[in-house]
Amino acid sequence: MFDSIDDVIERFAAQQYICDRRIATVVYLAARLRKPILVEGPAGVGKTELAKVIAAALGHELIRLQCYEGLDEGKALYEWEYAKQLLYTQILKDKISEILAGARTLAQAVDRIAREDDVFFSDRFLLPRPLLRAILTPAPTVLLIDEIDKADSEFEAFLLEVLSDFQVSVPELGTLKARYVPTVVLTSNNAREMSDALKRRCLHLYIDFPSLDRELQIVRLKVPGISEQLSRQVVEVVQRVRKLDLKKVPSISETLDWARALVLLNADSLDENLVSETLSAILKYEGDIRKAQEELKDYLRRARERDGLAAAARAEKDLLH
Amino acid sequence: MAAAPAMDQRIAQFANLLRESGFRISLSEHMDALEAARAVGLADREAFKDALRATLAKRAIDLAAFDELFDLYFGGLGEAIRASAAEMQAALGLEDADLQDLMETLAALARELRVELSPLAQALLQNDAGTLERLLREAGARVEVQGIQRPMQEGRYSHAIAQALGLSELNREIEDLKQRLEAAGLDEALLGKIRAFVDRRLRDLTDIIKRYVRSELEKRDHAARDALRVQSLAEKSFYYLSEEEIRRMNEAVKKLAERLKNTVSVRRKRAKRGKFDIKDTLRKNLQYGGTPFRLQLDRRVRDKPQVVILCDVSDSVRNVSRFMLQFVYSLQDLYSRVRSFIFVSELGEITKLFEEHEITEAIEQALTGNIVNVFAHSDFGRAFRIFHRDYLGCVTRKTSVIILGDARNNYNHPHEWVLKEIRKRAKQLIWLNPENRLTWGFGDSEMDRYQPYCDLVEECRNLKQLYRVIDRLVM
Repeated sequence: MFDSIDDVIERFAAQQYICDRRIATVVYLAARLRKPILVEGPAGVGKTELAKVIAAALGHELIRLQCYEGLDEGKALYEWEYAKQLLYTQILKDKISEILAGARTLAQAVDRIAREDDVFFSDRFLLPRPLLRAILTPAPTVLLIDEIDKADSEFEAFLLEVLSDFQVSVPELGTLKARYVPTVVLTSNNAREMSDALKRRCLHLYIDFPSLDRELQIVRLKVPGISEQLSRQVVEVVQRVRKLDLKKVPSISETLDWARALVLLNADSLDENLVSETLSAILKYEGDIRKAQEELKDYLRRARERDGLAAAARAEKDLLH
Repeated sequence: MAAAPAMDQRIAQFANLLRESGFRISLSEHMDALEAARAVGLADREAFKDALRATLAKRAIDLAAFDELFDLYFGGLGEAIRASAAEMQAALGLEDADLQDLMETLAALARELRVELSPLAQALLQNDAGTLERLLREAGARVEVQGIQRPMQEGRYSHAIAQALGLSELNREIEDLKQRLEAAGLDEALLGKIRAFVDRRLRDLTDIIKRYVRSELEKRDHAARDALRVQSLAEKSFYYLSEEEIRRMNEAVKKLAERLKNTVSVRRKRAKRGKFDIKDTLRKNLQYGGTPFRLQLDRRVRDKPQVVILCDVSDSVRNVSRFMLQFVYSLQDLYSRVRSFIFVSELGEITKLFEEHEITEAIEQALTGNIVNVFAHSDFGRAFRIFHRDYLGCVTRKTSVIILGDARNNYNHPHEWVLKEIRKRAKQLIWLNPENRLTWGFGDSEMDRYQPYCDLVEECRNLKQLYRVIDRLVM
């Protein structure tokens, strides 16, 4: 587990995840208090990534449960493998008739079969789904319950039960209890407000878009070979675009995509043409693109002037030398 | 840990303050906060704040208020004490090192002269912000300064705290100290410096007390203001809204849309009847040896609601229409099969306009008169007739028709037969009227004539009423 907040930051940095102190504090507390973390925030700020990084930093296995509308216990917890059971009964026909040999009445036969039914309702035929896997694993794990807001509220209620004791009862097998309580991360895109009961059990972490400096750090870390100037311009443009009233604001991964695309195009600074050609990397709606272009014209002109001045100053310096 | 109970108590008070400001904090969350605060300790202020935030503020909309209250509660006094020390330093023209020297000299002199200083005097003269804060808070608790209600009481509470703190004893003590120092025959320059310092600190203390009382009052205020804001917004009429409130209303409409979505998906799940699903049936019946023993029906009945919405944008509802349109916009965003129309005396479709533009611009365009002449006199009858002539085809058995308007018809022919026609074809017909129910039917209001043909007629002028309507609408 983590020793301190700084330990979290360091170990995350080793996984190439740059996080601020707030995130690190909550992760540290979650480990200390053994509480699930509920991560909320706009799409594409690295909520899911956070869980992966926690798993990697702790060296634990990551078990992921992706939620969607209609997800039910069977798909989240366990199912009996009917096909396998059926197959086994077919193969074992001889053995079964052996057991049944000598049974005079139907009731007797049923009794005999009933005596054997633990064979068919045993671990062997249990198909564990993510939640049960997290409970049964022999080593500590990180359980990621992704986009919990997409699941129905009935499922949320069921989840509460599992999250509070980390034990489930399978009627045929009895109660299964976790040997290691997994580190749980739930993410939500805020498609709906989560219930108070769920929030009560979790530590709450709101991740917003990163500040300019932090995003710059991320871009430089994740897009090797990007020039100083280009990375700054890219991040400045993205941050500026995010302030506009758009249908869909660009996420961090889109910033990275754009930066990578620009590097592939061998650009080392932005100009108007380049921006209008590649803006579709960060904006996905025609209206948004038009709006952003309007806004960026002004910015790019000023950036050019600034660079022009810098270049002129450099030239002057060269001249003096 | 000696400091722990004090910290627990302060966190408890803070949690109470949050509750008063409309946060929902359960007992278990409170316990978590205590545990989390203990885990990170007090030394790292940011971490302490984050720990409390993670355990106490769990709704995104609460975060800003949490930050504000935290700073008010945990920052207030300590900040004030440090600020006043800095001001003192600047006023006396002392560098950091000078001040340190002066305080050390003073402490040494006091020891030499065997002057026993009270903890308060010591904290004050040694610039010990921590102790000073603790003493102040204790005094504050004794006079129950949290009970302060009005700015008028500031003086009284300041006085009470000063008394609880023992300000007059402190005065005497310091007077005594000064006399002893003079009697000791110190160098005149040093004596002057010390005297200035001591006097200044004494004045600082009264100042700090005042700031302390004021910050307590602000806390109260904040809590009260917030509660008031939430309360009043829900009941405020659409007619009178400021910028800030419009923003909040936007959020609320968004929430409503979410709620609508939720209820719809639940309802969809409940609808069990659907098409026969071969794949699912085979899988389900494996347990019966592949004999189709149980039929599995496709439960995902895609019965998305179809909505036709008619929105009055005439002068009489000018202030409300923006919000009604906002509602229309959200609705259209949510359901794929919404057709929206606006009318005054003519009727025009705005579905496409709303699809293509983002909300503010779309509403702006709808209200500028490009679609229909918004400066005409309302004529519901005529607008309905146009609808009947051109668009009645879009009303089917599955359609909910919503009309937003005040039914002020300027004594024109109401043509209520159109509503009758619509009602016959549609699933339901809902009329939302921004006017007070008491005024319906008076003057040129034709509400009484239209009402019999509607399934649901509701007064809808503010958010609270809108909530109620939406509950019924989705059912």
